[in-house]
Amino acid sequence: MSVLDVSLENGVQWLRLNRPESMNAVNAELRAALAAAVRDAERSPEVRVVVVTGSGRAFCSGADVREFASREGAVEAISGEYERILTGLRTMPKPVIAALNGVAAGIGASIAMACDLRYATPEAALVEAFVKIGLTPDGGATWFLPRFIGTAKAFEIMYTGDPLPAADAERFGLYNRVVPADSLEETVRDLAQALARGPAMALAAAKRSVNFSVNSTFEEALDFEFMLQGVQMQGQDFKEGVTAFLEKRKPEFKGE
Amino acid sequence: MDFEFIRVHTEPPIAVVTLDRPKVLNALSPALVEEVTTALGQLDQDASIRAVVLTGGPKVFAAGADIGDMAERTPIEQLQRDQTGRWLKLTSFTKPLIAAVNGYALGGGCEMALMCDLIIAGDSARFGQPEINLGIIAGAGGTQRWTRTAGKYIAMEVNLTGRPITAWRAYQLGLVNRVVPAEVTIEVAKQVARQIATRAPIAARLAKESVNQALETPLSEGLAVERKNFYFLFATEDQKEGMKAFLEKRPAEFKGR
Repeated sequence: MSVLDVSLENGVQWLRLNRPESMNAVNAELRAALAAAVRDAERSPEVRVVVVTGSGRAFCSGADVREFASREGAVEAISGEYERILTGLRTMPKPVIAALNGVAAGIGASIAMACDLRYATPEAALVEAFVKIGLTPDGGATWFLPRFIGTAKAFEIMYTGDPLPAADAERFGLYNRVVPADSLEETVRDLAQALARGPAMALAAAKRSVNFSVNSTFEEALDFEFMLQGVQMQGQDFKEGVTAFLEKRKPEFKGE
Repeated sequence: MDFEFIRVHTEPPIAVVTLDRPKVLNALSPALVEEVTTALGQLDQDASIRAVVLTGGPKVFAAGADIGDMAERTPIEQLQRDQTGRWLKLTSFTKPLIAAVNGYALGGGCEMALMCDLIIAGDSARFGQPEINLGIIAGAGGTQRWTRTAGKYIAMEVNLTGRPITAWRAYQLGLVNRVVPAEVTIEVAKQVARQIATRAPIAARLAKESVNQALETPLSEGLAVERKNFYFLFATEDQKEGMKAFLEKRPAEFKGR
């Protein structure tokens, strides 16, 4: 059994963290597998959408504490790989969905937040428990959380280490939706497959513009959007979209 | 003239020079650099061309020099063929030169971009001087132009670590004029070139010369050069036309005289 289960299904690449015995804690093997899988998903033209999820009762309980307790200077060794995973998910030009089947803690929370969309079960709390072992949040948590839930709430969960319940995460807009555990996979599969049939270039362009806007002024973002719109208007999908609209039928996008 | 490693496309009043060795990520062999300088020399003489775009195409600008060609060279060979000294011809081009950079501009590729007058970067662009990873250093301006443009500390970072920086960081450092979607980088660079091409050519030439002087001289000397160029332009027909058009509230038609 591999620590990361990778499978392609109708254009959707499922990345399933698969160390259920340790609540999908990220060890060196899983970290390397994730970095490679994220890179491959970005490069492969067959992959139109990526879903990250976990086996068992947790999404991901964070970094494997047993592993880094024994290692000096571990941060230098692992930060490059985490950077590739997190930046890869956040910037690859295709939709990336987190299906949170259970708790997302530490680096697991960061992986979830690096995705574009988050769907969760009612049990899938978000946890930043670094403080309980004398550490500080990492994996981009201090960048993500103020943006998603505001600084006050971010400080509260980082200082206390208390879980942010899924219902609260949904209310704050950190999770897109909380669904019953037995329908999570179906919900995400339906959405992912719909996106995989969508206008891939236009979806990628939306993601590029959103990521661009994070660094830019309003005027720069406006300029960037218009230029990308010009590119989309040259595409076959736009032609098909307009034709289908006028013919009152569903468009059939080819991603070009 | 036919070129082997580049493509030159003229659409007056602008021209586009495209590095065209995609299989080797536009590695800058001496022959390729020779072709670029030859092409620019010709375009400099061509009165119908008023601005030029230099690009590596949609995927990569140029990922450095030809390592295979250099690996076994002796210092004397390097001196005699003066591989990087020949690049200086690029900087004698008198017309506005705009780099359109997508993907990697590394080593010599980055130095070539830095020799241009403006840089339009696609969001895929990466700039860096990775020579130190090969046990050498930048040899065509990488230690000098980064320092003059982005300052000592950034120049040190780029030249000592060999790590490339993103288009966005380059923009924040003032190395890049605009970050645009990679699909339109060349088109935006051409728009900028066409805009500059509507300006008075002799004024553009002297503006370029004057700005470049700022990097070579103390302020008082640079200001003296600027002043002389400013007074000199009153000898041109374009100055008369430009001011007349302004007073008559119509667009000027510059002839480069």
